[in-house]
Parts: sequence; C-alpha cells; structure tokens
Amino acid sequence: MNEKMTSFFRYLAYAMEIVLLYVLGTTPDLLPQLFGAKPTLLLCVALTAAIFEREIPAMVIGLVCGVLIDLGYSNSIGLFTITLTVVCFIVGYAANNLIRATFLNFLLYAFVAVGGIFMLYFLIRVVWAGVDNYWDYFMNHLLSRMVQTFVLSIPIYFVNKFIYHTLGNDE
Amino acid sequence: MKELWESGKIRIFLSVLLVLVMLSLFTRNVENNIVSTSVNTLTYGLSKVSAAAKERNTDGMSYDELKDEYDALSEANRELRARLVDYYDVKEENARLWKFYELKKEHKDYQFVPATVLRRDSNDEFYSFTIDKGTASDISTGDPVMGENGIIGYISEADANTAKVVTILSPQASIGATDKASKDTGIITGSSKYADDNLTMFAKLKSEHKVKTGDIITTTGISGIYPKNLIIGEVTDIGYDTYDTSYYAVVKPYEDIRKITDIAVITSFDGEGEILKRNSD
Repeated sequence: MNEKMTSFFRYLAYAMEIVLLYVLGTTPDLLPQLFGAKPTLLLCVALTAAIFEREIPAMVIGLVCGVLIDLGYSNSIGLFTITLTVVCFIVGYAANNLIRATFLNFLLYAFVAVGGIFMLYFLIRVVWAGVDNYWDYFMNHLLSRMVQTFVLSIPIYFVNKFIYHTLGNDE
Repeated sequence: MKELWESGKIRIFLSVLLVLVMLSLFTRNVENNIVSTSVNTLTYGLSKVSAAAKERNTDGMSYDELKDEYDALSEANRELRARLVDYYDVKEENARLWKFYELKKEHKDYQFVPATVLRRDSNDEFYSFTIDKGTASDISTGDPVMGENGIIGYISEADANTAKVVTILSPQASIGATDKASKDTGIITGSSKYADDNLTMFAKLKSEHKVKTGDIITTTGISGIYPKNLIIGEVTDIGYDTYDTSYYAVVKPYEDIRKITDIAVITSFDGEGEILKRNSD
C-alpha cells in the first residue's frame, strides 16, 4: 500500500472511531453514570490521536471532536472547539519535535490537558454562569468526569497507537 | 519553532483559530444558525438510529429466547403485511399522542407537538436533552415541555429539525410556581445538590410560608410564558438557603426526568405572552 492509501485508511479509522464514540456518548441511557458523571469520550480521541499525528492533522481531529462536544451542549461552538484545536496543534508539534510519543509522556500530558480543559470548563460554564453550589457540582460531577475521561484515554491511546503503527505515517 | 513558522503551519493554525473565534461569536449570537443546523442535520440520522436501537435493546435475553421471539415476530409480521404500509408509524404516533390526550381534553387551547428524545449530552449533569422536532414543527425557544404527568422543562434552543430542552432539574430553569394548598408562590429552579435524585427546588419562599410536605406545586401562569396550573411535582422536604437567606422546598416531579423518552412541546395556549405583550404596549 502506498503512503497516500495508508494515510487515507488511517484518517478513515479515526473518523470511524469518532463516530462510534460520539454515538456511545450521546445515545440516551446507554452508558451508565458513575459517581454522577459520564466520560467525555471525544476528548480522549482528540488527545490521544494528537500525540501520534503532525500539527495540522492533529488540529483538525481536535477541531472535529471539539465541534461535536460543543454542539452536544448547546447550539454554539466555543470552549471545547477552541481549546482542543489549540491543545492538539501544540501537542502535534511537540510530539514530533520536542518530546517523544511515549506512554509515560502521554500520561503526563493527558493528565495536564484533561485537568486544564475541565477546569476551564468549570470556570466558564459553571462558576461564571452562576450555577449554585458549584463546589458540590465540582466534587459530585466534574471530578468524576475528569477521572473517567483520563482513565478511558489510556485504552483509546493504545487503540490509536495501533492505528498509527498499522496504517503508517505519511511523512 | 523557526522551522514551524517558516513551514506556514503556524499561519494555518492562526487562521483556523481566528475563524473559530468568529464562528463562536456568530453561533452564540445567532439562534438557528447554519453551523449548528448543518451539524445537527448531519448527526440527526445517526442519533435517531442509535436512540431507536437502544430503545429496542434485548435486555440480556438468551439466544433461544431471542430465536423464539424472532419466530413469533416473523409470524406476526406475515399477518401484518396485509395492512397499511404506514401502520407502525401511525400506531407509534398514536401511542405517543394518547399519553397527552387527557391533557388536551382538559385544555383545549393547548397546541401540542409530540416528540422523542434524540440524544442526551454527557457534559450536562442536569439531564438536558435534544428532541427530534424543531422550528419546522412550529417549536420555538421558550416553549414549555411536558411529560405525561407534568411539566419537565422548556426549549432553550431550536433549529430546523432538533431542539434542546433544559429540564426543571437545571439551575438555568426559572419557572413561576405556586403551592396549590397554601397558595405560597416561588420559583422552580434546579440545583446540583438535588438533580441526581430527580428533585428540583421551589425557591424564594417567604419566611412566613405555609408550604408542607406532600403539597402539590403547579405553574402560576402569570408571566404568560407557561400555562397556568401545569403540575410540577410534590413537596418532599423544606430547607433554608443560608446564602440566599430564604426558605425553599424540595420538589419531586411526577415524571422521572432523567429517563424520559416521550415528551410534548406546547407551542401555543390561551394567554401566551400576554404579560410580555402588555409590557411592550
């Protein structure tokens, strides 16, 4: 298979992964809530794919996942689209030029990225939006979602690693 | 970093970011915008299929049970083939409408649009959801949303084919309400403390209120946004908000909002928008 074909199939695999996890995440009553929250599966896909891809493909994957997450929440794009676009671009660049895409580096980066993005979400959509008892909300919902998202990003990391190694690199 | 700048990737990145910021401002300020309508239309079929598949799940039946059911259904299918091709659609619609028939009989002025839950957002812990009807079915922002046993929320956003519902479990909800027994008035609003237990709050009660456990709470209808006397739920507890220095009652809706699948949107009713109209005059 030539490089263009392998790239095509790799992006197709990412697309299918995004669609599958979008369906899993949005189908009513399909995934159970653990400790008051469900994981944000598309965030896992964007963060894990970004560490294997170059800047622009990583940015596009982050953008697509961000739009789907944002439009699930309201009819406007914003927080997740912009943060995931920025984070994935930076990670795509860093993973190819500054750091090695190892599992340990991934864990560290995923921990910081998941924590950072959800804290931003908490500040903008909960504290500034005037939700009452926001610490209750943080402890009873958001913390659980952060942990679940981080934990689930580990198997998805291995899925994307498999996709990347099986379907090669176009560079 | 120099290499990144020279390769032009950073310029592509900054251009995309600029477009995203502009789109973000655009989609935030324009209701029923082309971006959300396009994406929602693209994902509509997918959500519809997955929601329908979930509704018809097998509940962990064994192979033999499934085979027996399959055989029985195949037999039934043969008999039903002779009937009208749209029989199932009509039957389903009829079942959905039947739930709201009593309410319609009681309030002839209500115009209902029955709908089903298309998807639930995993990012929202207040059980907001998206329904499979939108502005093309005369649904508009602010329309009250009913379950079989009472009000469950309102339309927060709507595009051509879908609409988002904010439930009364959400702090975003603010509905004028009254206690049918004591005549006390207050506001129904959700709380992160109670949402997980399918409970909401009847807040801003006066210090001399007479609300007690078991009282039924209904809408006041005085704003003209919600019809009068729609049942909201039953008082299960009374509390005191130290931040707000006011009393509140914990209300249990008669509907399990966390799991509801069939709803009806009230698109018009007698007295709708009267106060708003009066104020604008």
